[in-house]
Amino acid sequence: MSDISSTPRPSLKDEVRRAFTTTGAPGANSSAVTSDLSIDEELNLHSIGWEPVELVSGVSFHSIPYGYWNWGQGEIEGASSAHATAFTNATTRLLREAGAAGGHGVVGVHIERAVHPRHIEISLVGTAVRPVDTTKRLERSVFASDLSARDFTMLMIAGWEPLGLATGASFVFAPRRSMSTAIQQQSQNVELTNFTEAMYTAREAAMQRMQEAAIAMHGTGVVDVKVQEGPMSFATHAVAFVAMGTVVRLATSTHQLIHPTMVVSMNDPSVDFDAQTLA
Amino acid sequence: MPDAPSDLPEAAQRRFSQGAFSSELSVSDFAACLDMGLEPVGLVQGFCAMRWGAFTMNGMGRGLNPYSSNQGGYVQNYQCPHGMISSEHRSWGQNYQQTWVEDAWRTGFNNAYSRMMEEAQTLGAHGVVGVIDSESPLSDTGVVEFHLRGTAVKVIDMPAPTATPWSTFLAGQRLAKVFEAGYAPVSIVTSVASIRVWAYCMTEYLMDGTGGMWANAGGSAEITQVVDAQTTVRDLTRSRVRSSLHGDALHGAHLEVSMREFSKGDMELQSRLSGNRVRRFKDFDPLALPKPTVRLS
Repeated sequence: MSDISSTPRPSLKDEVRRAFTTTGAPGANSSAVTSDLSIDEELNLHSIGWEPVELVSGVSFHSIPYGYWNWGQGEIEGASSAHATAFTNATTRLLREAGAAGGHGVVGVHIERAVHPRHIEISLVGTAVRPVDTTKRLERSVFASDLSARDFTMLMIAGWEPLGLATGASFVFAPRRSMSTAIQQQSQNVELTNFTEAMYTAREAAMQRMQEAAIAMHGTGVVDVKVQEGPMSFATHAVAFVAMGTVVRLATSTHQLIHPTMVVSMNDPSVDFDAQTLA
Repeated sequence: MPDAPSDLPEAAQRRFSQGAFSSELSVSDFAACLDMGLEPVGLVQGFCAMRWGAFTMNGMGRGLNPYSSNQGGYVQNYQCPHGMISSEHRSWGQNYQQTWVEDAWRTGFNNAYSRMMEEAQTLGAHGVVGVIDSESPLSDTGVVEFHLRGTAVKVIDMPAPTATPWSTFLAGQRLAKVFEAGYAPVSIVTSVASIRVWAYCMTEYLMDGTGGMWANAGGSAEITQVVDAQTTVRDLTRSRVRSSLHGDALHGAHLEVSMREFSKGDMELQSRLSGNRVRRFKDFDPLALPKPTVRLS
């Protein structure tokens, strides 16, 4: 990680003029990099000695055979395994592209997923990153993380490292009530235990799978877990539960305390820029 | 003021010569530009209306011949594993790069962009900041309007520009951080790739869950034809953008992929990648570690 520089920085106006008077030939001072990071995120990465390398993506479409959604009991294993396979394939392709570009990991992965009656779509897009000192060898496999570059920076400062994306998905039937029960409950405010129990079953299976994925990566936990759950419009008696997050482990001997500074902003909420600083 | 390009409307030339500037910058971005030594000189715009229908071929011309070439574009064929079943059976499929769609898009975008930059040159600007681009259909006529606009700026105390102005989607504080990080904006970069997917029987069965005994005995599998198309459309866009960077870097890239189905088994994938081409003007300058703060409000 870089030290705080004590050299006074030139004024912004001087930097802008210098930019247009000293800019050399294309690529004279930089390598061809593509990145979907904002400039703030790139500066965050630079502060811990990392840099973006390449915009990478991974996609998978996986089929779900006809007739899986409407009748049955317990978990809809075909749909759950299709989701798991699609996610694994998309992640593998993302990491392959990152590795080929010389990245040590992928940060800020945008996860787009859609469950259709007959197929599942998974699309991953992120920016491959690596230490600025490119002589550093990659000591472990390339990681993928849906943490933003800012969160990745904070994680590294705190002495932790990301290991990969973990996901768990489960689709479960909510058994149909008997005709007499349905008629009996029509005029009652009553809990539909078949749906409640299906949600619990789906939750346990999905969380268990995500946890197993984390353990397989030798991680100690999963951060920034996103949970998506509920019924699906095309399957009235099935519920879905999907959990995903970034697997992390401690990279240093102990957790590094951050000690944040408390600040009170005195800016007017509607003013983003202080005109008093103008020359 | 440099000589005005010949196709700039006379009314625009008169307006530009009147002295007052216009700008789409917010007050905070305007103030930040002044702080950087960038003086707004005018809101510049470029338009291009492109007739679109003739370029998409409206379903004609693809899916007719599995052995056709594509004039250098990407094409990939898929053969049915079942043999002759019926005349409705999709015995072959094809992924096909729609180079004519890409060419039409590129023509529309580049025309609008160059017209915007002509206006900036007329104003004697060094660059254009806060570029916004849009494309929208004009009524229901198969015509797409490309519209680019941004704020032309001069660098205070710099000699009049001799080269093409630079451009960037950024403005205000975000642009200031780019300079502080040691990068100079070069130009906005945008590219589009388009692939048509003409499904063969396996893709149709796997996407729709139909086909009975022909669909791999009811099992599930990855839909390789669609995965190939999705992967390739992204690759084409990225490789095209990379080839236009000439060793510079692309910041703040935005990748957008859409898929639409015209009819059963006939899909179009379109991928668009845009971002800011920047060039480093000083060596990497290690930054201080960020100081974590908790805002009390």
